[in-house]
Amino acid sequence: MAANINFHPSEALLRGYADGTLSAGLNVVISAHLEQCKDCRDRVAELENIAACEWVESSKEMLCISDYDGSSEQGETNIIRENPTAKLSHLVTDITSHPQHREMNPGDESVTEIHMLDHSVRLPKVLARAASDGLVWKKMTSGINQASVMLDDQTQCEFLYIKPGAKVPVHKHQGTEVTLVLDGSFTDEMGKYQKSDFVMRNKTHTHHPASEEGCLCFSVLDSPLTFTSGLARLLNPFLRYRFSRATSMS
Amino acid sequence: MTSTKIGSFQLKEVVQPKHKANTYKVETALVGNPASDKTAADSDESLLIAIGNRQDTEAFNLLFKRFSSRIYAMGVKLTRNDQLASDLVQEAMLTVWQKAPLYDLDRGSAQSWIFTLTRNRCFDIMRKIKRQPTTISADDIWAPEELDVQLVHEEQGSMEAEVEKIERHYDQLPLPQRAVVEQIYIHDRTHEEAANVLNIPLGTLKSRLRLGMGKLKQLLRTEVDSNAGTTKVKQTLGRNGNAVNLKHGRNS
Repeated sequence: MAANINFHPSEALLRGYADGTLSAGLNVVISAHLEQCKDCRDRVAELENIAACEWVESSKEMLCISDYDGSSEQGETNIIRENPTAKLSHLVTDITSHPQHREMNPGDESVTEIHMLDHSVRLPKVLARAASDGLVWKKMTSGINQASVMLDDQTQCEFLYIKPGAKVPVHKHQGTEVTLVLDGSFTDEMGKYQKSDFVMRNKTHTHHPASEEGCLCFSVLDSPLTFTSGLARLLNPFLRYRFSRATSMS
Repeated sequence: MTSTKIGSFQLKEVVQPKHKANTYKVETALVGNPASDKTAADSDESLLIAIGNRQDTEAFNLLFKRFSSRIYAMGVKLTRNDQLASDLVQEAMLTVWQKAPLYDLDRGSAQSWIFTLTRNRCFDIMRKIKRQPTTISADDIWAPEELDVQLVHEEQGSMEAEVEKIERHYDQLPLPQRAVVEQIYIHDRTHEEAANVLNIPLGTLKSRLRLGMGKLKQLLRTEVDSNAGTTKVKQTLGRNGNAVNLKHGRNS
């Protein structure tokens, strides 16, 4: 387990994860970080408690309104709000005829490792699930291979392998790019990122990642990135094409 | 409080005779949840326990009335669709019924548990509607932490310990964990029976048992390591609530 993790998801992202309002791609990359980060896991548990309290409080207000309307003081509001779940109470008999679960699901042990040249890397469980259909590695630039995983229609998710000594062309993002380091490390203008670090970049950042020892990571983009220097710019139309391919459902 | 003596393994009898079972229930639950009203007979927690331990349909009915409109409201907010919100009520409440035995009192309130489970069902419903890939489900994303899996494996192994030292370590266990270990290994109850006697969810019983056994094992291992080579009396705590099986012998 990674001893010291220096970069974590923002509070807003953790809150979105707890609330269930994020895309599947972001949920997956955050979940993979949480599996290795107890601090963030504890924070999520707190945020879930807060969200649950707010949920109960806010529906209390809603119920008061519907109770009030139900008392039929004025005809005009009656139509708008009757308790919509009153007609669902017939479900109870059906539900209670189902058997109960006495044991936790053991959870299947699908693919959990990616084999590199000289060693293999154990994947966080959620990424192993995401990759369970198999990964097809493609050469992206001379030092970088990528394997896409389709999770939803809003994000482009992929495993990236940066070979030792390789540099990613300087690029910036139109939206948000989240990168989780799975093995090895990479650096950019803002720091050095190691296993389990969660790195988020948005359109205000232009960065130039490089890896001395090689790096396997999982990245989630919510729009295509744009290379800003030299010949790499020629790749831009191709990247936009790739993004639309990755996010369009088959 | 009475005492039970098994070999040299003396235990304080924490559990009171059956006719006092009710007072005991309250005490145990309070130990686990200081400063809360979770023990009230109609609290969300008590209802969930009744549903999980006794398939109490009346308790389920009450919980359904209490939560269905909240779930509906969350459904409308997240899906913006009345029909999907109704589907969510059905699926989430079905999951409440099915998973009630797995609810763990020590991990949080019933409302948090129902909230997360509703959020997860909603995520799956939305993916189905949008025909998104099924490789990932909510249960993969919001999965229980890895720690649990490792401890479950340990729980299944047998345990070797020095009997004369167990009592001291045993006293160090928090009361809720001690009560559970005792129900299973001293009174030879099944997990279900023990959960009923203690009036805690099966899920809580299992996690307390896991924590208690893990801690005992850890304490004993430390001690065994520092006393290697001395005469040992082994005690084997069996799998899944079997009888306490004492083996006296020498370890060369």
